[in-house]
Amino acid sequence: MTLFQDTGGDPRAARALVADVLAWFGAVGDAAMGNAPGFALRKASLAVALAKTAGSSESEQHALYLAGRLHAIGAIGNRAFRKGDALPERVTRMESWDVPAQGARICETIAALPHETPDIVRWQHEAWDGTGYPDSLRWTGIPRPAQFLALADRYLHAADPEEVLGHIGLESGRAFNPETVRTFTMWFHLSAGDVEIAEMPIDGLLDAPTDAQSLLERFADLVDAHNAVDGRWRRVALLADATAASLALSDEELHELGIACRIFGAGEVDEPTVEDDAFDPLARLGVDHRARNARAASALALPIASLRAASAIVDARGEWFDGTGKPSGRARKDIPIAAGVLAAAIAFERLDRGERIDTTAGTQFDPVIVRALMEVAKQRA
Amino acid sequence: MIELPERTRRISPSRLHEILLEHDGKSLVDPFMGLPTHLNYLKRHGIAVHGGDLLEWFVRVGEGLISNDHTYLRDAEVAEIVEMLPGRIYSLDLFKAWEGVFFTEEQCVYLGVWHDNVRNLRSDQQTGLAVLGLWRAFCYWLQKTQSPDDMQDIPPSELAWSYIRQTEQWVTSNLRRNTVRQGDVLSTMSARNADALFLAPPPRNSFRSADARIWMWEAWWQGNPYFTIEHAYRDSLLGARAADTHSYARAIASILSSAEKFPLLIVQTTEQRIGEVEPLVRNARPRVKTIAPHPYEIYLVATR
Repeated sequence: MTLFQDTGGDPRAARALVADVLAWFGAVGDAAMGNAPGFALRKASLAVALAKTAGSSESEQHALYLAGRLHAIGAIGNRAFRKGDALPERVTRMESWDVPAQGARICETIAALPHETPDIVRWQHEAWDGTGYPDSLRWTGIPRPAQFLALADRYLHAADPEEVLGHIGLESGRAFNPETVRTFTMWFHLSAGDVEIAEMPIDGLLDAPTDAQSLLERFADLVDAHNAVDGRWRRVALLADATAASLALSDEELHELGIACRIFGAGEVDEPTVEDDAFDPLARLGVDHRARNARAASALALPIASLRAASAIVDARGEWFDGTGKPSGRARKDIPIAAGVLAAAIAFERLDRGERIDTTAGTQFDPVIVRALMEVAKQRA
Repeated sequence: MIELPERTRRISPSRLHEILLEHDGKSLVDPFMGLPTHLNYLKRHGIAVHGGDLLEWFVRVGEGLISNDHTYLRDAEVAEIVEMLPGRIYSLDLFKAWEGVFFTEEQCVYLGVWHDNVRNLRSDQQTGLAVLGLWRAFCYWLQKTQSPDDMQDIPPSELAWSYIRQTEQWVTSNLRRNTVRQGDVLSTMSARNADALFLAPPPRNSFRSADARIWMWEAWWQGNPYFTIEHAYRDSLLGARAADTHSYARAIASILSSAEKFPLLIVQTTEQRIGEVEPLVRNARPRVKTIAPHPYEIYLVATR
């Protein structure tokens, strides 16, 4: 099934869809790492502002922007952040040093990215004096855009923006090239320290054979691996697609449900445990937990135009048919059918004995959806 | 004012690790290791590493980062390195020759104090870590001569303290035996067997344009401010005798022919030098794959 609207052979429209998926995955990386929402966007914007101040070329700025948006994707699947690995603090710290290199490896597989982007991601935490990670590069061995990204990271992580200029000045010749610090100081005085949000450079992406849907699916696989539920979205999507088809959902609803199946797992990336390991998928006890994950996944997709409709479906997957669910307490017809299908498919996929879902018809799930789902399951069996 | 080179050697150990993983390489010898932070990365990722170099300070640092699994410097021990200790007699004039040329009088005194304190440490591992930390402070000073207005004046002992204390984070064990040795390239290669040999040979006559931050620190370690890097390289395979193109090519070829026992050979070069290195590698090995992420970071991966 094709999830995104046909671009009619327009390469720019196809690139815009790829850009949307990249932006979403970048935000998921931030969530996995525990960064605030929108951090990657601000980091990319600031890094590009510094590059502009330094007179970098437009292509260098594009590569840098994309590296900024994808700066944390290496956290997805990294042992320091993924589920199921309880490591000592020291080992966790050392594992986290691999985040940039892992991010670079993922970037290298994305054909639409400029050639320079993976290495900017790889070396974004290198320090001028050689004390950075992962490669402990030093001095001019570190590409200039990677230093801009490092500086943007430091600036945005600063606890007190008032003192940040002094702190970064102290790092001149240590974490940062003195010339980069000079550029930062100039930018700071020109902009009063306000980060102006930059647009995604769609024209900076390369025309690549990989389309947005296959990219989204590859990222969904990575998210599932991170959450220690390999292949979950594929199993959920199979169930949900068949159930939705038997309920005669419109094409538009089917597409939105398809996207929702691929993005709902992103809400769990910063959770220490897998959602349904903590609670039985049919238990009322897990309602807060599920609603929290649903809202988190929805929030990641909401700012992205081509994922916005699906984010509403993901958001409502924690609602109960009888109105006692969360986060909004919506009931019956107020819950989008696609959200009900998604929620039932997620729960069913997790159950050892699928027929147990029958006990929730009329309370947690719409009886019509439960019947359709059980019919689909019976046919598949 | 001292000149610091625009381009410095770049070895990306994360990329090197990817090459090793692809070829199932679990151990590696690097006879031109230089500052062995890349070997420390590989060690952290479970590779048994063996490094060698002609310059002694690199080997000392290797004793701290490579062969050391558990030892680090505690706060009190760091404090004993960075400041003058009562009751100890110091050779405060040891680096006076550098005064006014590269460093201030105070910095030269500190260099003498650190030189004496480091040599009184309890173990080779601690010495290695201290040498690394102090080198970073030394580099900061040299960098400051280039950008005096952009960099802060940090008291020498504070700067050294922070850098030495930081070295603790790189101390780790991979449950393998990892070694470093001081010696020529051929002696290092003959001393160790491994799945892979990594060669990043210095360019022809490179000792004549060596980075001051490298040779001056060897001078510091030797306690001889008049030391020049030609001294160290004079009688080596790639020393003065390999000054012309043919001799240099012969020297590299002899290294490659001695590398037969290593199943995997990784040679790092640059776009500028690949013309002289690649034919030699292809002559030595039947299968050579080129990985060229950057013009100044090219890997020739050769197998049997």
